[in-house]
Amino acid sequence: MLSKLRTLCLKGIDGREVSAEVYIAPGLPAYTVVGLPDAAVKEAKDRVVAAVRNSGYDFPSKRITVNLAPAEIKKSGTHFDLPIALGVLAASGKLGKKPPARMEDTFFIGELALDGAIRPVAGVLPMLMALKGSGKTAVVPVGNSAEAAVSGVACLAAATLKETAAWLTGEGELKPCARPAEHKISSAPVPDFSEVKGQAFAKRALEIAAAGFHNVIMVGPPGAGKSMLARRFAALLPPMTFDESLETTKLYSVSGLGAAGRLVSERPFREPHHTISDAALIGGGSSPRPGEVSLAHNGVLFLDEFPEFSRPAIEGLREPLEAWRVTVSRVKESVAYPARFLMVAAMNPCPCGYLGHPTRECACTPLQVHKYRAKVSGPILDRIDLHVQLSAVKYADWEALPKGEPSAVIAERVLKAIEIQRKRFNGGIRANAFMAGAELRRHCALPEGASAVLETAMNRLGFSARSLDKILKISRTIADLEGAAAIKREHVIEAVQYRMLDKAAELPAGI
Amino acid sequence: MGGDPGEEKLARVRLNYFACHKSDWLLRLIDIYGGAAELLKRPPAELAAEGGVMLDTALRLAAQTAAADPEKEMLAAQRAGISVLTVLDVDYPELLKKIYDPPLVIYVRGALKPRPSAGIVGTRKATAYGLRTAARLARELAEAGVAVASGLARGIDTAAHQAAVDAGGVTWAALGTGLNRIYPWENRKLAEKIVEGGGALVSEFPLDKGPLQANFPRRNRIISGLSLATVVVEGGFESGALITARFALDQGREVLAVPGPVDSPVSRGPNFFIKNGAYPAESGSDIISCFPPEAMFGLKLSAAEPVHGPSAAALRELSPDALLAYNAIAEDEAGLSADEVTQKLEWQVQRAAAALFELEVSSLVNSKGGRYCRST
Repeated sequence: MLSKLRTLCLKGIDGREVSAEVYIAPGLPAYTVVGLPDAAVKEAKDRVVAAVRNSGYDFPSKRITVNLAPAEIKKSGTHFDLPIALGVLAASGKLGKKPPARMEDTFFIGELALDGAIRPVAGVLPMLMALKGSGKTAVVPVGNSAEAAVSGVACLAAATLKETAAWLTGEGELKPCARPAEHKISSAPVPDFSEVKGQAFAKRALEIAAAGFHNVIMVGPPGAGKSMLARRFAALLPPMTFDESLETTKLYSVSGLGAAGRLVSERPFREPHHTISDAALIGGGSSPRPGEVSLAHNGVLFLDEFPEFSRPAIEGLREPLEAWRVTVSRVKESVAYPARFLMVAAMNPCPCGYLGHPTRECACTPLQVHKYRAKVSGPILDRIDLHVQLSAVKYADWEALPKGEPSAVIAERVLKAIEIQRKRFNGGIRANAFMAGAELRRHCALPEGASAVLETAMNRLGFSARSLDKILKISRTIADLEGAAAIKREHVIEAVQYRMLDKAAELPAGI
Repeated sequence: MGGDPGEEKLARVRLNYFACHKSDWLLRLIDIYGGAAELLKRPPAELAAEGGVMLDTALRLAAQTAAADPEKEMLAAQRAGISVLTVLDVDYPELLKKIYDPPLVIYVRGALKPRPSAGIVGTRKATAYGLRTAARLARELAEAGVAVASGLARGIDTAAHQAAVDAGGVTWAALGTGLNRIYPWENRKLAEKIVEGGGALVSEFPLDKGPLQANFPRRNRIISGLSLATVVVEGGFESGALITARFALDQGREVLAVPGPVDSPVSRGPNFFIKNGAYPAESGSDIISCFPPEAMFGLKLSAAEPVHGPSAAALRELSPDALLAYNAIAEDEAGLSADEVTQKLEWQVQRAAAALFELEVSSLVNSKGGRYCRST
């Protein structure tokens, strides 16, 4: 006999409808799964057999063929267990002579335990998003019910195979997934900016970064507070909108980091270690998965010890920094993951970290320093608007310093600047950092005195033409933070301070 | 010195490949045999017996000189616009000829014309004070028409060459490597500018000789040998700068030293020399006044007084904020970071940024690696 169930699979972060067909024919007992399944799907066979038997049914000793259609999409994941098991039950007549009517319009997702219980799986939210607005129902593992409820698709939560079979035949009922009352995850409290003493320039640079979506690089000796500042940075960004939350949650769901099946409601802060592989940072793998850049979607990606990252990893950042997404191409498929993040990079001034330190001696040769810096130069540095130099804080000074401004106060200014930009760019996710060409000239017109400043900076401090556009963009954001309609001379002067890696004096002589 | 002078020159270039000994030793052998060409014809055993050399040294000399190809070297030098000079050549600098162990051969790129000259030497790990003083002395010497000799090393040497070039003056760099192997490599451009500015690069090593630690102290005798006086700007007791100064003393040339803070490790060398009778060098004219009278003839002696900080006029032009920031920065020899300026003056970032920008643009202050130091 033949049965046909509907389920879903993932292509990138989008759901696709899949039908699981089960055909049971007389003959030598055999059990095959076809339709481009990966290893985890093939293993479904053994779980299904055990789960069916342990739910009190006989497993038919016949020729069983399972087909997952359409065959050209690569199927991965363990959530095909439930539809396959139900298909076997239906095809062997365990659910009545005719396939139950409820099978028609229902989608099934779930991994089976050997005892017939249904386990939560990764990627439920993005899969269900494919059904949004279709009026169809889905049965999902009870462990994913909170995540499923967020999707806006009518979902039922199932705990066991037996319960699901009973619902199909109309002998039992399943509870609908309810949206949890509170979406917010009570994550660890985000540390506050007021805890960072001193480093006024770095704090100001981060404020500008948050306001104009500028990427930042912090250069300073170990212990200057680079990581401390970066970890507090996400608190400066405005709260996530619902759509942003949904996008980020989808990515977390695909990666199996479902945060207990809840909506990600706080801006992600990702801090991968510098030994990370390029595939883990950017996304990839033989069956593609989103990388750290995508997990930082709508949030902050902090790359400490930036020059220590592998060259392929650093180079790989170019695509997401430019296009806000990562395309992973494989022979069988090509998927795109969104990756719109704000990059905060940190580096030492030299490999040992003490170049220019007032009291400690640097042990590096100029060649070492040059090589170290060269790793972040060129195309990547071109995508970083703000450079900020941190210096070591002496303990005596540190003691005497007053507490800093709390994050909330800074965030308020940032939000105002973002509102101004929303109006300027007519909505959308545009920010000052993305201005180019004519747009840049239109919004960053300079008054007389200010263009003289730029010219002086170019001539006296050796700024390149390339850095001029950056200075203009930063000036625009500084003006926005102040609520000023036009860029003023002092805005440009301040902006110049944040391009220190461009100064001719910072390059080793003769290069 | 018999035979064809061309042949003798080639022989000396060949002999120069055996560079593991001081040249006085080779000069003595040349003296004994009446020429390098003669010397090279002798079997090692005879050299050992007559020259009083150990046999294996003589064997190595024979092997290394036999492996050399002086014709090719001369051709390569000619193509690169490098002149190869031995003491037999009239262009070989008189001053250098007079030292105890003049280099057998010097390779010269650019113009090494006779003119009064002074050496400026110092440590590679110089302080901001050392760098700006070296630069000022070099500038003043260059403006007076004195050639500035140094070693093209990092730190003080680079500051001196750079300042002389920037002032449109003549500067000579004595290298510890062959002229095809400029070291340190980041000074390649500076080396070009030295040649373009009418100065010269000088080396006693074959063209393709790479950097070897032992060769750098040797070239210091060329710096002092080319100079009427040598100024030590900064350097600890073990530094190459002090080696140069000792060469200068051995060669009977003047040694001056730049006085520095008593607690600065890199000023221990110069302060030690001053304590022992060296002239303190505060300005270019201090150095020139040590020259022998006939060398001072024709020099443009300006009445430049030692500079103590920037001119009052330059400071008067600053805005009140910039002046406050300047005073804060000038107080600290190590300079201040932008953050320290905000803390010290209790200013907002914007205010500090404006003041620092003004100072940096006015060249009263320069910044490197995030620290702002006074530049004069």
